[in-house]
Amino acid sequence: MFNSQQLTLADSFSPHRIHTRHKQNGSKSKRRKPLVLVVDDERLIADTMTEILRRCGFHAVCAYEGKSALELARHNAPDFVLTDVVMPVMNGVELAIEIRKVLPDTEVILLSGQAGISDILSNGREKGYSFELFAKPVHPEKLLKRLKGE
Amino acid sequence: MTCKIRTELLQDGLLGLERHLLPAVSRLYGQDALIVTDADANVVYWSRSATRIFGYSAEEMVGNPLSRTIPVELQAKEEKMVNSLVPGALKRYETQRVCRDGRRIAVRASICALGGLADEPAGVLRSEREIPAGPDASVTASHLAAIVESSNDAIVSSDLDGIVTSWNKAAQRLFGYAPEEMIGRSILSIVPEDLHSEEREILRKIRAGKRIDHYETRRIGKDGTVVEVALTISPIRDRFGNVVGSSKIGRDISERKEMERRLIESEKIAATARMAANIAHEINNPLDSVMNLIYLARLNLTASSKARPCLLAAEGELERVSHLARQALGYYRDPGAAVEIHLGTLLEEVLSVYRSKLLAANIAVDCAFDQRRPIKASEDELMQVFSALVVNAIDAMPAGGVLTIETRELAEQGVEILVSDRGTGISTENLPKIFEPFFTTKGHLGTGIGLWVAHQLVEKRGGRIAIDSRTEPTCSGTTVSVFLPFQR
Repeated sequence: MFNSQQLTLADSFSPHRIHTRHKQNGSKSKRRKPLVLVVDDERLIADTMTEILRRCGFHAVCAYEGKSALELARHNAPDFVLTDVVMPVMNGVELAIEIRKVLPDTEVILLSGQAGISDILSNGREKGYSFELFAKPVHPEKLLKRLKGE
Repeated sequence: MTCKIRTELLQDGLLGLERHLLPAVSRLYGQDALIVTDADANVVYWSRSATRIFGYSAEEMVGNPLSRTIPVELQAKEEKMVNSLVPGALKRYETQRVCRDGRRIAVRASICALGGLADEPAGVLRSEREIPAGPDASVTASHLAAIVESSNDAIVSSDLDGIVTSWNKAAQRLFGYAPEEMIGRSILSIVPEDLHSEEREILRKIRAGKRIDHYETRRIGKDGTVVEVALTISPIRDRFGNVVGSSKIGRDISERKEMERRLIESEKIAATARMAANIAHEINNPLDSVMNLIYLARLNLTASSKARPCLLAAEGELERVSHLARQALGYYRDPGAAVEIHLGTLLEEVLSVYRSKLLAANIAVDCAFDQRRPIKASEDELMQVFSALVVNAIDAMPAGGVLTIETRELAEQGVEILVSDRGTGISTENLPKIFEPFFTTKGHLGTGIGLWVAHQLVEKRGGRIAIDSRTEPTCSGTTVSVFLPFQR
């Protein structure tokens, strides 16, 4: 059975491994497995999604709030970021904007349970940013298909 | 003085009084008409000044009723005034009299009861002085009358019994009654029945000399419409300070009240939307976790595992709960940017979502789309509007039928969309409530949100939505018409 304790941020993420992968491959297109950064303040969602991605052909790391997610993204240049929208301190749209500024090739996908996201998305659009949005609950297969480009 | 009069009365009756005392008093108060009436209000003494003021001689008046000098409409009031007199006490008031030549004059009257045998009032001693209606007074009066007539506020006066004594033009505009229809009539005729006790309370306060400021209430116009008014009511006093009536200044506040109601309604809706959004968030997050957990559990199983169908069924049920949560709570969503839309394409997309449901319910779809010019709107919002209409049409025809959807351009103004079903129809008593939040005719199967949200979204886009329904068995059905203008 899945054990969420095994998937804390420190355990699930290995900067060294990913850094090495970058050095070896040189560009994203040559990576064996795409790297996905999963961000959600609901730990169970972040952990389960990360585990699903790992089992389905992706490298995956997770963060439980925006600021550490941004640090992780800066250091590891993920191919995809799957982030919740409504989060304390830094919301998903703010995170997505910051990531796009430093990593224009990273695809950011927002996931939301729909509470109060209208204003958050409008603020993002006013700054010239728009992002793909999936409404929670989203079936993992739907997300996997999107990430695999199927 | 009272003792002396009583002694005279005992000795000689009123004639003795007339002989000895009154001429002397009359000389002392030369400018006042001095009049004595008996218990039946017949004149027993009429001074020279009374003749000078009223034109009637003593011969004409003595033995005759005083009422010939009192205007008809004031006679009951005068009688009431006399009957309430306590022997020995003095009462002062202003009133009107009719002279021999028909002129009406204003008088300041002082009356005093004359004691009789066994303390029965034997009569009334009156002193009446004419109030000169000089040129200044008339100028002031006409000036004030012009102000009252040109006022935008309804200004109405009534006596202490609530009988209307004046009614300005603004009152006519506001309530629909002309002055001649209202003067002499009770003010209660414009007061709704459930507020009659309120009017009595107002009169009680006015009698006590109190003023009522900015009192918000309802009144009924001539055509039966309810008018919401703010009233300022003040007592009208005569020169001696007696309250003789009331003045009411009324302002129409119907528009403001309607705006207040709309504001409260939209605040309620916004609060409900916020609450729904929060509930949606609280429900959707655990659903997302459970969906991931079931998927993970499935990944751990072999293809032949007996748990596999159970997990697949659980996933299916979870999808169902997600759909319900989205339908019931998902109306608070980001509208997205406005884009150019051809409604035919959008409606076909809506129909494709519900294709399996339409097939299952044995409903045929008949579409006729005629729109060349696109409209600019949020695709997501219009999807929500037409999804609600299509779902309602499907639910209205559980035994099958035909769903008709038509679009047509209306003379450069916009596009009209008609969604019709041949279901059982909506009863007349339910029709007015159909766009109210949480009203449903589907029992526990409905949320009462679909049409309410559709209404909100269409109006927000500057359009209109209307519903027409028939319940006659041979031609029952419902048509919802939506109009969306090209220009917002």
